[in-house]
Amino acid sequence: MRVDDPTLARLMAQAQTGNAEAYRALLECCRQWLSRFFAGRIAAAAVDDLIQDTLASVHAKRATYDPARPFLPWLAAIARYRWLDQLRRVYRVREDALSETLFEGDHETEVVARISIDRMLARLSPAQSLAIRLVKIDGLSIVEASARSGQSPSLVKINIHRGLKRLAQFVESD
Amino acid sequence: MNPRDIDSLVADLRPVRPMSGRIGMAIVIGMAALAVLMTAIGFGLRPDVLALHPSELVLLRSGTLLLVGLSAAAAVIASAQPGVGLRRGGWRWALAAAALFPLTSLLLVLGGAEFPAWIFTARSVPFCLGISLVGALAIAGPLVLWLRRGAVTEQARVGWLVGLTAGALGTFAYNLACPSDTVHYAAVWYTLTVATAAVIGRLTVPPLLRW
Repeated sequence: MRVDDPTLARLMAQAQTGNAEAYRALLECCRQWLSRFFAGRIAAAAVDDLIQDTLASVHAKRATYDPARPFLPWLAAIARYRWLDQLRRVYRVREDALSETLFEGDHETEVVARISIDRMLARLSPAQSLAIRLVKIDGLSIVEASARSGQSPSLVKINIHRGLKRLAQFVESD
Repeated sequence: MNPRDIDSLVADLRPVRPMSGRIGMAIVIGMAALAVLMTAIGFGLRPDVLALHPSELVLLRSGTLLLVGLSAAAAVIASAQPGVGLRRGGWRWALAAAALFPLTSLLLVLGGAEFPAWIFTARSVPFCLGISLVGALAIAGPLVLWLRRGAVTEQARVGWLVGLTAGALGTFAYNLACPSDTVHYAAVWYTLTVATAAVIGRLTVPPLLRW
């Protein structure tokens, strides 16, 4: 099911008044939207946890949504924040190469593309972006990422550290 | 994510009132007014301010500090409600206007004007820093408590802005009592005070806003 922003905004406004049916429909739409939003931007095994965390944040922070504004930029800001939080956590999940289809964003509209995670990554230097993608998204070790990227292991670590710090500045940037 | 997780969130649904930025701004203005009142009671306002005929310099620095403080406060308050693509940069222009004070001081000195070295040893300096920073703390505390109800996603930036808001408005409160009538004093000490508050905000506020 694909739902437009005005419909999502209306559902959220109704949810804020306590309408459980509207809220259920909204959360289901959000779940589907988030699964597309995060696809290819985090290890596949972590996507479910990330969606769950993001929906829990939507629930906890639903009073911060202003019904007079579009819904998706609000949801995207929360999703980016949780995504970055997930990247910061130390985890090592070895994944096979991600399917190329996961990186296709062709089902997103232009507006949604502006709030995508890729827009944040594009603001990093190529070396930072590559280090984060290899280690934090593809799940490679520092040594493997070093061999793949041509950066020394210490440079990979530095690029990840600096890249994550910079990403934190772009959570609300389009 | 299985349907049971969504069920549990739906079961936990309670009506909520959308967060209002007006309350945040009311907190900032209310605490700034309280800081002015406490400064007036504790240290007394300048005679020209009491007479409602403030000097040109007091008007200029008061207006500038208010602009910086309120524009930064507006950015802080807006950040409680996240959204990709929202523009909240108005405070930068006010800060640029505030930079005219140190710039004016520098240009005067470069132009041959004598720099009043006494401003470094003036008796008012500890009061300037102390009153301004205590006022800033009084403004920042309730503001951060209010912000914690929100969903701040760019915490480092908001840390700076909380410090800037509180520092500018705390210094505004002190400036109404400040006996100095030279632009050099404001250029050095007011700038230092606001900058100090901003740095303290950057260092202390972000951990309080994580969620």
